[in-house]
Amino acid sequence: MTTLLQSFRKNRALWVTLLVLCITFLMAVRGLVDPIAEGGERYKNVVITILRGLSTGSIIFLVASGFSIIFGLMNVLNMAHGALFMIGAYVGWTMAVRPDTVVDAFTPLVLLSAGFTLLPFLDWSLQKLNLPKVAGGLLPWVGLILAIVVLGFAFPKYPITSWDVGSYEISPTNYAFAASQGQLVAPEPEGFAGISPLVGLGSIILGGILAAISMAGFAANRRRSGAGTGSTKESLPWKSFLIFIGLVFLGWIVYFFNTPISTFLLNIDTTWLFILAVLVAVATGVLLGALIEATLVRPLYETHLYVLMLTLGVSSIIIEVVRAIWGAPEFTMPRPSIFDGTGEGCPAESLGALIEHKCSTIQVLGGRVRTYNEIFIPILGIVVLITVWILLQRTRLGMIVRAGVQDSDMVKALGINVQRIFTIVFALGVGLATLGGVIGAPSTGLTTTLGDSLLINLLVALAIGGLTSYPGAAAGALIVGLLQQFIIKYGQIGIHIPFMDEPFKPTPPLVPAMTVLLMVVILLVMPNGLFGRKE
Amino acid sequence: MTTITSPQTNGLGQFFKNNRGVLFSIAGLIFLPFALTLLDGQSIGSMLANESGLSKFYQGLAIEIFILAIYALSYDLLFGITGLLSFGHAMFFGVGAYLTGIMLKSFSWGLLPIIGLVAVAGLVMALIFSIVLPRVKGITFALVTLGIAQVFYIVIQSREMADLAGAEIGLQGVTPPAYLNPVEQRLRFYYVGLVVLFGVYFLYKRFVDSPTGHVCVAIRENEDRATMLGFNTFYFKLVALTISSITAAFAGAMHGLFHPIIRPGIASSHYTIAALLMILMGGIGTLDGAIIGAATFKLLSFYLEKWFGGTSQVIIGVVYIMLVLFLPYGIVGTWKLRGVRLRDGWRDFLQRLKPSQTNND
Amino acid sequence: MDNKALLHVNNIHTFIGQFHILEGVSIHVPKGKIVAILGRNGAGKTTTLKSILGLTPPSQGSILFDGQELQGQRSFEIAALGIGYVPEHRAIFRDLNVSENLKIAERKKGDLARKEAFIFDLFPDLKRLIQLQGDHLSGGQQQMLAIARALVPDNKLLLIDEPTEGLAPVLIEQMMAAIRQLSAETTILLVEQNFIVASQLAEDYVIIEEGQSVKAGKMADLVKDPATIRRYLEAA
Repeated sequence: MTTLLQSFRKNRALWVTLLVLCITFLMAVRGLVDPIAEGGERYKNVVITILRGLSTGSIIFLVASGFSIIFGLMNVLNMAHGALFMIGAYVGWTMAVRPDTVVDAFTPLVLLSAGFTLLPFLDWSLQKLNLPKVAGGLLPWVGLILAIVVLGFAFPKYPITSWDVGSYEISPTNYAFAASQGQLVAPEPEGFAGISPLVGLGSIILGGILAAISMAGFAANRRRSGAGTGSTKESLPWKSFLIFIGLVFLGWIVYFFNTPISTFLLNIDTTWLFILAVLVAVATGVLLGALIEATLVRPLYETHLYVLMLTLGVSSIIIEVVRAIWGAPEFTMPRPSIFDGTGEGCPAESLGALIEHKCSTIQVLGGRVRTYNEIFIPILGIVVLITVWILLQRTRLGMIVRAGVQDSDMVKALGINVQRIFTIVFALGVGLATLGGVIGAPSTGLTTTLGDSLLINLLVALAIGGLTSYPGAAAGALIVGLLQQFIIKYGQIGIHIPFMDEPFKPTPPLVPAMTVLLMVVILLVMPNGLFGRKE
Repeated sequence: MTTITSPQTNGLGQFFKNNRGVLFSIAGLIFLPFALTLLDGQSIGSMLANESGLSKFYQGLAIEIFILAIYALSYDLLFGITGLLSFGHAMFFGVGAYLTGIMLKSFSWGLLPIIGLVAVAGLVMALIFSIVLPRVKGITFALVTLGIAQVFYIVIQSREMADLAGAEIGLQGVTPPAYLNPVEQRLRFYYVGLVVLFGVYFLYKRFVDSPTGHVCVAIRENEDRATMLGFNTFYFKLVALTISSITAAFAGAMHGLFHPIIRPGIASSHYTIAALLMILMGGIGTLDGAIIGAATFKLLSFYLEKWFGGTSQVIIGVVYIMLVLFLPYGIVGTWKLRGVRLRDGWRDFLQRLKPSQTNND
Repeated sequence: MDNKALLHVNNIHTFIGQFHILEGVSIHVPKGKIVAILGRNGAGKTTTLKSILGLTPPSQGSILFDGQELQGQRSFEIAALGIGYVPEHRAIFRDLNVSENLKIAERKKGDLARKEAFIFDLFPDLKRLIQLQGDHLSGGQQQMLAIARALVPDNKLLLIDEPTEGLAPVLIEQMMAAIRQLSAETTILLVEQNFIVASQLAEDYVIIEEGQSVKAGKMADLVKDPATIRRYLEAA
């Protein structure tokens, strides 16, 4: 009892703010209760609005949690997080609607990355060779140019059966529509344009190796210009060879069995495709995150503002690349089949019926609740919340992250390779963002502005919750989600204000305005957010 | 012998000596339209009559650079000099532009009252931002300003304001006063822009060298220390914010006069980031850097767009990343940075951007 | 120079940003002894420890530890060679509880299990507090935890920075006893502002003044030399 009182005294501002938020929430709920309807139906709007708020909040949370851990641990405001969220949506869409394209693209990407698995070997041999200064300086640039030439020659000729942004018949929009109707017909696969497959595949492997040589060369030069010699590994890293051969082999297998794999994927149930889409999107995010961290962010850790600018640059590149590949028009992603039933027995009256008929909607208190958007997404949000929480609290990685947020130098001094932890956390954080993207895609649709609007919500949520606090990210995301959905709902039914004949209807621009207003007010009361640590 | 000559004895000469580069640039810019005319083989007379040609075209490009440079200067004062990272700067610019456009189009005001109104609007916006100024610092301040600016961005695009602000298409059909029409009086507009830009530049230089400016720099370097020395840092930050916001609003007003369509994009966060990019490219905290950065930014985007069309955005992104990776102190910053302590000051300052900085006791 | 040196710091120079902090520091730490780094505030004592660990990498000079050159290696590689660090102001992890604070220092699985008895024997208080969050500990308890953390892996050398700073006299006694007990097992390089504490603990000393090591020798000799003490250690 006394400890409770003490904690109240210590965190008075927090408790008062939470109380005010709760009262506001209850008042908002009361306003939504329908006075005319009977029984449980009176709460129809309340339930639906809260569920929608949870759904919006879940998506924001998925992205915000990664963002906040990255910021806390390495002091990097990753402004590309919104764009990476969007990448998740687009990549997931491709897997769900055009799996054949993913299969086509798989081979060159694997062959390309195979070269990079040779990096330990190349590092080792460069150290052994100990090239003279001029040759060492030239090598990476020559490698880079050759890699660009070889890849520039082979990549455009590589047969990736995809879509044409310019022609409506075979545009993503049209494929998305056909897929949602269950009438998708994938186009015939193409062959290599003008060169023999052997040359094509071979040049891509070669390009990857050349790029890796260039990278190893740059790294060697950095080491040389640095103070020390570093430790030299004595034994030849054989393992990298095995991985290299394995990847090349995998790439060739997928190339030769391309058609059967594509056909198989095109004919399986959309639920399986959706699960695959989630996996592919998350994997893309993790790889992309690791790549961005290792090549771009790492050299700039000391200067945080430059990292901020850098990630902004990455963000604008991603948006343009997406626009170039998938086009600017909006399109949709089909829901997985277990959440998409509309036939007999739908909307479901009970949970049993929901599972039996795989309905897209369920009847709750006389209102229709969309199963995917308003039930599946919040549940997934909660699952991720708990998973990441356990990861942070119960694993060694989580322990190091929590320690590193406070003092990464001390973690280094304990003999822990913080650099590797940074890469892992960055990769996982981006993976969470792409997970949010692919999960959110069926409910929000795909546009190239997806990332921008999410980034604003995410920043507001984190400012409210406390920038580097994990519970803060959850609370902030929840508050922002609920607030937005309540205002949207009130925009439909209007608020009855005393002494006014017409109910006041908040217009759409008020939605972001209100969240920002809430953020400003909360920050005025608590400059570090609800759960942020005091300076 | 040389030590006896104190810098104060010869005010004008010293001024000339200190600002040699800038004064040469001004001279160059004054003659630029003529030089271009001669290059094009156009007659000076036709250029003076604002007939279209190479010179007129490049005057237009230069005017855009002038406007951007004023905008970048204002951001540099706020962020580079005083150390206040704001993500809402585009709102200042946008308010200036939209107010000018709306007042000219819907209310037919003259230019002078508009200038007064824009100044007042700048002051009011600075006051709005200053509500949170004493409480939040670092990245949180940036987020708050981002939020406020984002609201403005959404409001000017809303359907409710369509009659005044033209929704998402932008404000069209603004007729600037005949004596400063960007088409018929391009050359005059060019010189007005030049005068305003370097007027602002020298004013800012004076401000940075003034005692108030010194305190602003001290706040950037270490706010706690500035407070301990007995300065009310809030007041100094407010002064910098106000000057900055009024300048940015004027830049916006010029934008509103110059461009036939005022697009809502100029109030978006991208435009704030553009300002940040300009001063980063030029060199943070150096006033020359802001101008050079703005010129680089504009020329780069213009020519890349011209040469590469649709893919230019990707290339621009790559160029920025290259700049950040290989020219981390900006053009002027790298030029000046030879043993200067700027680097440490910055590292120190950037360290403190993190709100929960640890073990700094 | 005898061959028994565990750590040999030879004329290192360290810059932090543009500031030349260390301008030639040499330290010689024989195996099994306690060596104290003495000097006024801001002389560069903490930076010396951080330079050994590579947290502020030196730009010149060499650091030999157990026959290996540390210069140019990364901090975590240096630490993994067997150097434990107890930083200034304790720097325990506030968001981790005592048990996690110890566990994070494990370099191999089972390090903690092996050393637990020894650590709790040295600091019995910690056993009682095992579930407590780091930021709920008192200053003395934090200091104990910080030392205990450095004991979890098998370290050949401990770098201890200001272990008695801000502690009550009773706790200082306790800390000194603990350090003495530790020196039976391992070598210690100690930074200590409090000369009385340092003179009672250390066998050798090094004095750092304005980034340079100016004097070194046996502690027993220094105690008998008030002129040197006045010149380098008393508040200016």
